[in-house]
Amino acid sequence: MNNITMDRTTGADSTVPALAIRNLDFWYGSNHALKGVSLDFPTRQVTGMIGPSGCGKSTLLRILNRMYDLYPGQRATGEVMFDGCNILAPGLDVNVLRSRIGMVFQKPTPFPMSIYDNIAFGVRLHERLSRTDMDQRVESVLRRVALWNEVKDRLNASAAALSGGQQQRLCIARTIATRPEVILLDEPTSALDPISTARIEELLDELKQEFSIAIVTHNLQQAARCADRVAFFYMGTLVEVDTADKMFTAPQAKRTQDYITGRFG
Amino acid sequence: MMELPSAMTARDHPAMDTNTRGQYGDFIFGMIARLAGWFILLVMAGIGIVLISGGWRAFSTFGPGFITSTAWNPISDHFGAATSIFGTLVTTGIALVFAVPFAFGVAFWLVEMAPPALARFIETAVQLLAAVPSIIFGMWGFFIVVPFMAHDIEPTLTHYLGHVPGIGVLFRGAPYGTGLLSGGLILAIMITPFICSVMTDVFVSIPAVLKESAFGLGATRWEVMRQVVLPWSRQAVMGGIMLGTGRALGETMAVTFVIGNSNRLGWSLFAPGNTIASLIALEFPESSAGSLKLSALLALGAILMIISFITLACSRIFLQRGTAK
Amino acid sequence: MMSAPQSHPADGSGWRRGGVQATRRRLVERLVSLLCNMATVVVLFALFSILWTLVTRGAAGLSLPTFMHSTAAPGAGGGLANAIIGSCEQTGLAALIGTPIGMFAGIYLSEFSQDGRIVTLVRFVSDMLLSVPSILVGLFIYLIIVEPAGHFSGMAGTLALAVLFIPIVVRTTEDMLRLVPRAMREAAYALGAPGWRVILSVCLRSARGGIMTGILLALARISGETAPLLFTSLGNLNWSTNLNAPMASLPVTIYQYAGSAYDDWVQMAWTGALLITVAVLATNIFARWWLTRNGTAQQ
Repeated sequence: MNNITMDRTTGADSTVPALAIRNLDFWYGSNHALKGVSLDFPTRQVTGMIGPSGCGKSTLLRILNRMYDLYPGQRATGEVMFDGCNILAPGLDVNVLRSRIGMVFQKPTPFPMSIYDNIAFGVRLHERLSRTDMDQRVESVLRRVALWNEVKDRLNASAAALSGGQQQRLCIARTIATRPEVILLDEPTSALDPISTARIEELLDELKQEFSIAIVTHNLQQAARCADRVAFFYMGTLVEVDTADKMFTAPQAKRTQDYITGRFG
Repeated sequence: MMELPSAMTARDHPAMDTNTRGQYGDFIFGMIARLAGWFILLVMAGIGIVLISGGWRAFSTFGPGFITSTAWNPISDHFGAATSIFGTLVTTGIALVFAVPFAFGVAFWLVEMAPPALARFIETAVQLLAAVPSIIFGMWGFFIVVPFMAHDIEPTLTHYLGHVPGIGVLFRGAPYGTGLLSGGLILAIMITPFICSVMTDVFVSIPAVLKESAFGLGATRWEVMRQVVLPWSRQAVMGGIMLGTGRALGETMAVTFVIGNSNRLGWSLFAPGNTIASLIALEFPESSAGSLKLSALLALGAILMIISFITLACSRIFLQRGTAK
Repeated sequence: MMSAPQSHPADGSGWRRGGVQATRRRLVERLVSLLCNMATVVVLFALFSILWTLVTRGAAGLSLPTFMHSTAAPGAGGGLANAIIGSCEQTGLAALIGTPIGMFAGIYLSEFSQDGRIVTLVRFVSDMLLSVPSILVGLFIYLIIVEPAGHFSGMAGTLALAVLFIPIVVRTTEDMLRLVPRAMREAAYALGAPGWRVILSVCLRSARGGIMTGILLALARISGETAPLLFTSLGNLNWSTNLNAPMASLPVTIYQYAGSAYDDWVQMAWTGALLITVAVLATNIFARWWLTRNGTAQQ
């Protein structure tokens, strides 16, 4: 990973991408859901993925941490390079992969345990920490998602008692607590109110200092606000990918233009 | 904003290309779960094999006539299954005749008529009735229902129905109190809560729009029930009834107290009889290991098992079709 | 072609639409609702009659000696202590044996659907076991344990009860695990948790309220079972906690005493019946209350 750290200050185009997808195809049974996708996720940038429902953007996200492994009949071919490995390779340890590529879901998914244990759960899977180190880790990630002041007095209370926005920030904290390099977000604000949404968006801006982020969103404004680069998907193919500025002001493809201006989708 | 500890950015990741961590855990966990699942298959197979092989001597001695023979004579070693199969079917039939309308009435009342607060209370009461151990039904039946049947119900039935041509024969005979009718009634009380709770669940699960559109046409509650709810839920209701039937067929303690323990076959519902389960409970302690009688009892057990499995299979088919909608 | 709008006289006669037919419909509705009310009253009456009988006839025996002394010969003033302890020992042990097996089998059914047909088979067979007449389970244990060993034993009774206990736990565990949201499982996998950790630490935890309720209901169910104990633990007139010897239990004692000709034994049978019913119903009510408090899939 050293080369990535060294490249930190250089421009986006010259960085080694955190994830590089080449010729990716994906099937749900006999349904060909992704067709020949090639896409780079630059290090420490936010890559937004947009497109109408069923276009394959969420599917792509779920390939990147091999979530599709859980379901029989789903299969991917092609190459997704991450830290020198093709993560689609059969022998790969998916548990380690998932600790390095974290995921945040559409609806908040607090586990049925205390706030503290929600965060410690993921950490304990991969590291053995002393009690004080764990306390520190929990505090630092909770501060990071700006939840610490709200929950510091009730770390042992059930996470289910938090509000939706707080739960989602807890889920983000839980994800970064395992120290991933990439964070995948699957429409993370679609179940939240506008104020909670704004706070999550601020948080994303902050987190990209340190993590490479891929976010799927239905909300074009959100993509414009948060993403450095935006990829547009349609019917399982990648139509266009560019910087957010260019994408929303001067899209190249007709379909992108139609989608962005609201003619379909 | 506090910075993350520096350790957080530079972390030694374990190699990703070797599939080691978690794999043994998953393998062992999977094996334990599979063993537990297979254990259930083993137990069920064991019950089947043990009963059939134990009853084999009776089957081979008496042949197919075992099922049609009404004999039960430990002295001459002649055994047949007909009387107890008859008793089992008759008591279950009586139980259904009473339990189905009552269960339906209670379920209809709970879903459509009861004030919500009361409905919750009554529903709990009905479920508690289902939880009462069967031996309690037996005792209650023996000490309360049997005298009542002997002194009031059975003489009255004989008086009014005993001379009706055709069905009169069912209601003649000495009013012992113990007998097929009492057994059937106790079973009815036992299985009513089961059938009722299945019906309640089904009636509640019908989409509100279906009911509302019928109510919107001015239909009464009964018309909605008969023309919308029942046709929609027929399969699942049948499944619930079969579930209750299965319980009634195999119930032992409640019946044993009130059935009268007799191995004669007759038309009268007042006459003492036996069901397969009660015969096993009553005769098993008096049959020595290796005797033909023991084998005959085990053969009866095998027959009971087969009857209840057929019932269960029917109920599963109905319930699956009923919920597949 | 449109007809001219019909004019309604505004004299209130519209409320009498339908005539005889409407009257008949109203009558049928009344009748059905009356019958339903009656059905409910009758069923409730049966429940209260049972409880009333138990209380009035059983309460007389509720005294300290009943809990202190073992069963004794008629007229010797015995109690039910050995039956109570025997019941507790056998049902408790059956639950200890049955809970892990039932829970793992339930996990197998809900989480290992990749095993395909065999999962369907195990589910069907488990349902069969759930509805197999309990007296047949007694026969089964008699033939495989009591007859080879040559004597009745508390262990045999325990195993018979465990066979009845397991399928109930299987059913509840599977049902409750199915209620765990898919997103919660995926979130746990997304942190890099291996499957067994996801199931044990997240899914089972999420389902624990429902599973606990199921275990309590199963416990209540087997504690009242008589038929499977008749040919396995048989009963014992003396104080015994030895699993390798015949063991008394409340239901079997009730069965033996209720049919006897001695008044004090019949009295003991009623007292035992009251005790077991109160215990079973209290467990039921507690389990249902527990479910409404802790039963949602979230917490």
